[in-house]
Amino acid sequence: MRKGSAYVNGPLIVQSDKTLLLEVDHEQADECRRAIAPFAELERAPEHIHTYRVTPLGLWNARAAGHDAEQVVDALVQYSRYPVPHALLVDVAETMDRYGRLTLSKHPAHGLVLTTTDRPVLEEILRSKKVAPLVGARIDPDTVIVHPSERGQIKQTLLKLGWPAEDLAGYVDGEAHPIELAEDGWALRPYQKQAVENFWHGGSGVVVLPCGAGKTLVGAGSMAQAKSTTLILVTNTVSARQWKHELVKRTSLTEDEIGEYSGTKKEIRPVTIATYQVLTTRRKGVYPHLELFDSRDWGLIVYDEVHLLPAPVFKFTADLQARRRLGLTATLVREDGRESDVFSLIGPKRFDAPWKEIEAQGYIAPADCVEVRVNLTDSERLAYATAEQEEKYRFCATTATKRKVTEALVRRFAGQQILVIGQYIDQLDELGEHLGAPVIKGETPNAQREKLFDAFREGEISVLVVSKVANFSIDLPEATVAIQVSGTFGSRQEEAQRLGRVLRPKADGHQAHFYSVVARDTIDQDFAAHRQRFLAEQGYAYRIVDADELLAEG
Amino acid sequence: MSTPATPPRSLAEALRARDDASLALLLRARPDLITPVPTDLTQLATRAGTRASVVRALERLDRFALQTAEALAVAGDPASYEELLGLMAGDAGDRAVAAALPRALGTLREQALVWGEDARLRLVRTARELLAPSPQHPSPTGLGPTVQEASAGMSPGRIQEIVAAAGLPSTHDSVSAVAALTGLFTDRKRMTKLLGGLPEESLDVLRRLVWGPPYGQVTADPAPRLRRLLDLGLLLPTAPGTVVLPREVALHLRGGLAHRATEPVPPVVEAAASYRPQVVDATAAGQAYTALATVEELLKDWDEGGPAVLRAGGLSVRDLKRTAVALDVPEPVAAFWVELAYAAGLLASDGEADERYAATPAYDEWLEQPPAERWARLAEAWLAATRTAGLVGGRDAKERTLSALGPGLDRSAASEVRHRVLTLLAGLPEGAAPTAESVLARLRWERPQRREDDLRSRLARWTLDEAELLGVTGRGALSAHGRALLGAAAAPVRAAEEEPEQPDEPTGPGDKLPVHHHPVPAPHPEPLSAAEQAVAVAAAGRLLAPLLPEPLDHVLLQADLTAVAPGPLRRPLADMLGVLADVESKGGATVYRFTPGSVRRALDAGQSASDLHAFLTAHSRTPVPQPLAYLIDDVARKHGHLRVGAASAYVRCDDDAVLNEILADKRAAGLGLRRLAPTVLASQADPAALLDGLRSMGFAPAAESAEGDVLIARAHAHRTPPRTAPEPVPDGPPVPDATLLAAAIRAIRAGDLASTAPRKQTPSTGPTGELPRTSSAETLATMQAAVLTGEALWIGYVNAEGAASQRVIAPVRVEGGFVTAYDHTADEVRTYPLHRITGVAELADD
Repeated sequence: MRKGSAYVNGPLIVQSDKTLLLEVDHEQADECRRAIAPFAELERAPEHIHTYRVTPLGLWNARAAGHDAEQVVDALVQYSRYPVPHALLVDVAETMDRYGRLTLSKHPAHGLVLTTTDRPVLEEILRSKKVAPLVGARIDPDTVIVHPSERGQIKQTLLKLGWPAEDLAGYVDGEAHPIELAEDGWALRPYQKQAVENFWHGGSGVVVLPCGAGKTLVGAGSMAQAKSTTLILVTNTVSARQWKHELVKRTSLTEDEIGEYSGTKKEIRPVTIATYQVLTTRRKGVYPHLELFDSRDWGLIVYDEVHLLPAPVFKFTADLQARRRLGLTATLVREDGRESDVFSLIGPKRFDAPWKEIEAQGYIAPADCVEVRVNLTDSERLAYATAEQEEKYRFCATTATKRKVTEALVRRFAGQQILVIGQYIDQLDELGEHLGAPVIKGETPNAQREKLFDAFREGEISVLVVSKVANFSIDLPEATVAIQVSGTFGSRQEEAQRLGRVLRPKADGHQAHFYSVVARDTIDQDFAAHRQRFLAEQGYAYRIVDADELLAEG
Repeated sequence: MSTPATPPRSLAEALRARDDASLALLLRARPDLITPVPTDLTQLATRAGTRASVVRALERLDRFALQTAEALAVAGDPASYEELLGLMAGDAGDRAVAAALPRALGTLREQALVWGEDARLRLVRTARELLAPSPQHPSPTGLGPTVQEASAGMSPGRIQEIVAAAGLPSTHDSVSAVAALTGLFTDRKRMTKLLGGLPEESLDVLRRLVWGPPYGQVTADPAPRLRRLLDLGLLLPTAPGTVVLPREVALHLRGGLAHRATEPVPPVVEAAASYRPQVVDATAAGQAYTALATVEELLKDWDEGGPAVLRAGGLSVRDLKRTAVALDVPEPVAAFWVELAYAAGLLASDGEADERYAATPAYDEWLEQPPAERWARLAEAWLAATRTAGLVGGRDAKERTLSALGPGLDRSAASEVRHRVLTLLAGLPEGAAPTAESVLARLRWERPQRREDDLRSRLARWTLDEAELLGVTGRGALSAHGRALLGAAAAPVRAAEEEPEQPDEPTGPGDKLPVHHHPVPAPHPEPLSAAEQAVAVAAAGRLLAPLLPEPLDHVLLQADLTAVAPGPLRRPLADMLGVLADVESKGGATVYRFTPGSVRRALDAGQSASDLHAFLTAHSRTPVPQPLAYLIDDVARKHGHLRVGAASAYVRCDDDAVLNEILADKRAAGLGLRRLAPTVLASQADPAALLDGLRSMGFAPAAESAEGDVLIARAHAHRTPPRTAPEPVPDGPPVPDATLLAAAIRAIRAGDLASTAPRKQTPSTGPTGELPRTSSAETLATMQAAVLTGEALWIGYVNAEGAASQRVIAPVRVEGGFVTAYDHTADEVRTYPLHRITGVAELADD
């Protein structure tokens, strides 16, 4: 900038809506990123300017991690290109000052208590209708008893009231059980180590890593830290088997030490892997498998794909605040907007790495994302225009032109491992028929699924058509091309998860391809735009090509 | 001040003795004295003594000068300087007070509130009346009347008793007795002895009254401790049941002080925090830029139809709320921006039938100016404005809500307070931010407010807030450009100059220099003239200019369809981008998002896809991302695909050769034909004219209905709008039913009574059965007489439908052109307008 100007040429621009814009190519960008990471949430990470957001939650988490308002203000002022609005600085200081006025701690005589250093605050929150049922007797003007089972609930409620409580009540150690990482010929990657460390230091929380970046190992690393009995909650049985397989391979645990608690098996072992589905099975108004949480003195609970956490599990989790909780996810975006519940019940985000950063380090494959726009035929357009509202998406998503494009793509990548992913079974069956490829869908038995997946891994089958059952946690390292023909409306995390299927680093380091086939000028296109938003914000630039061009190329 | 050879005997003489410069000071301080210009000094002196003028002058005194005037009001008339000093500094002799007193006295003299030499100081009579204690208006000093005043109504015998009780020799008259008592009360030694002999509980009573109010209630039979005080004259009765502590006694107990707290020096404006001047300037500049952006955004929002003007003037609460949401600021802040733009002449009501607010042409000029000048214009308007945004949302004296841009927001003190606050900030070292409380305390000292609402303090508080919003201050400290607004007078105070000089020995009046860091304010700071202010504002703009971020000519385009402008953009670029993309986040930078809608907007604004590509390529530092380029092409592909226009008729024909022929025919020129498709022509002429035109050209067209059927051509029969058929008129009225008949008969009987009642013949009365006719004057007189006598009258009456009737009424009241009467005909009390009464006649006596 000009000489004598009052402006430091910093990499950061503070916006009035409390977003922070970080210029990535700036020489101080990394330094600045480290300075603001503790309190600001990375919202978008496209190629030039990353957007962070300063939220009360982020500021409180920073307080919980031992940062004070002065450090936050310093970081903002030091790196900011333009003067930081005074009002924002004042707001930061005031928000951070709200943290720690209330503390949850263990009282030798009364058990869990809520104490305050600022009596009016306690008066204010006790007057709230939401807090009243969660607290017991008032021991003295500054202290009130909290029922131990309401620990999560009261933390969540206080957060919503804007007076977050500092939880000093600590964790139970749980039943000890020796677990070691078996690092023979491999080691935790630096960012995995960092994630385990951040999690352990923070006590509980969520680790966000891109698909294929090895979240299972972060889980294993954390278990090796905890050295205690562990309950692992996963999305489905296939995923449970993969966890088990991975744990046996990467840790000192043996097959016998690991139990599976699913629809078919009900084993409870020192390390137990349960599915969300079995936990939320409801019979006669009760959850019969809920006792699993109490069946052992668990020292650690791991929530895989925490963004899918079903609502009943939220409730159980609230009761588990004394146990260490680790949430793992690639995409903490929920279309139901309950991200903040995840943060308040499992714990704050302890580690987050932009996808492109991990890609740059070579731990996930670089991906070429392409949106292929197909035209509906004239007769289809007419039919689409007259279709019922609820049928419209199905209609345009399953247009026949998509099949042609898919076939062309499969031909183009012949010889590579290709996944064709879709939403509608009819469409998938038809594709499977035309491509001569097996189809995996909801009704495919588990044994059959595993057999097909194994064959795919071994390279015996090169094209696999899958429904949304394969969205998550299916480890298919050799898949290099994914073709998405339809999806669950505008789900951002589904898109990310599907891209994740092809992001496992390839043996020869070559690029992965992700094709999303979309019908032009229809609701399909609008959904696609919404679906791509998360990945676009992570820096994945979709190229858009016309189906005609693609078909012309061969 | 030169002392004349002979002491002046009146204010006029004192004024006459003053030189021109000193008179000029007086007139500047009290400009009301020369409107209109007095003919001579006697008149000037008279005017200076008027109540209104004195009140105004007293209101403008600082606290110490006012306290001095209050002390003079309780001192003797005339009073010596020593007496005044005693009252102000007390028996202990406060040195600070002694040092400051000459200046305060100088101020009072200058303002012609006090005249006379030091030995015989006289407060002008009106001021004395205003400030001296009386039972109705307790003085701020809390002192009561003197012994002499308090004992004025007492019997000589009672006075002698008191004198005796106090141990003084009896005198032969009351005057000397009072003088002796006064002498005792003012003699500190004897008084101490006298009080020493009192029981503690009696002293407690005195202590309660000593700082005022000096009045107390006693019962008819006072307790012994009160009895004792009354006996000694330490409390004097003023009215039955009320006693007062005489001034002399109170002064003795106070150690001679007229005020509980004498405040000779203004409270220091304390610095709450200190920042590096660069930080302050940068923060202020950042905020200054925000101010410009906010005003721009506000008026841009109102580009297409601003909010409506309320009938009473101003902006509705809902519109203000909406504006606040749009600007993302709290409502009071939104009110400030709106008022600021209004004060700067950038927005006004459009004066049309449905009045709305809109930007003025001056706004467009303003937009063209460089940022620093734009800011200077806002700052200048703010400093001079008397409209106060802080009042918005409050209520006026009539409990009406004060609305932004509405009436009732002018406060004449606003501008002066703003200047004063900024001047106080300028008195601090560079980079120092004061506490609001100390600024307010200082202002209250400079201008003690007697009224409850303390408008000046509120104005000062708003000034501090607004200065921050406008970027005059940064982090609460006055910025360099803010300082420049005050003109050359407010040179920055460096840290080295901060040491306050200690006040020296008390010196004579008038020669005390102001101490620097406790600047004793010139009571009326020299306001900048308009020209000087303009120069100062321009200087401020120049100081600010280099601090404002320089507009950029590029943006960063990203593949997630956003563009980030990492700083303010040059105007044409910002305008174009504002059309092409939606703003997602504002601040130092601006984040734009491209959506199909925003691209369509740009295309609608007349841009072509290639224009947009060229624009983005020219202003992006990085290659245009493929998704963005695709988006523009994709939207452009569909843009204008469907065309909509207006036509009033069409011609279609399967044979396009015929249509060619029509178009080629010169006679078709008047039909406004245009070819839409090979087989369709659109026409601006209406279908009938088109048919005629084509027929006249030798074609045989057929008209088509909306459904495409051929209409049978036939002349359209003329029709009226819907009408009802006429009602039959039967011969004679219909046969009435029983109810109607009964009612009719009753009415007829009553009418009969009216017409047949024997009545006096009046000259104008015609044949029997006709309505009486009298002149209106006569009618009125007869009515009024009837009210008095209670007689019944016979009247002719024409109702609103013009039907005439005769009635017998007994008038009860005649007023306002109506007569209220008991109507014998209708058997109830009715009111008749006098003008409908055709005439009146008295009923004949039976």
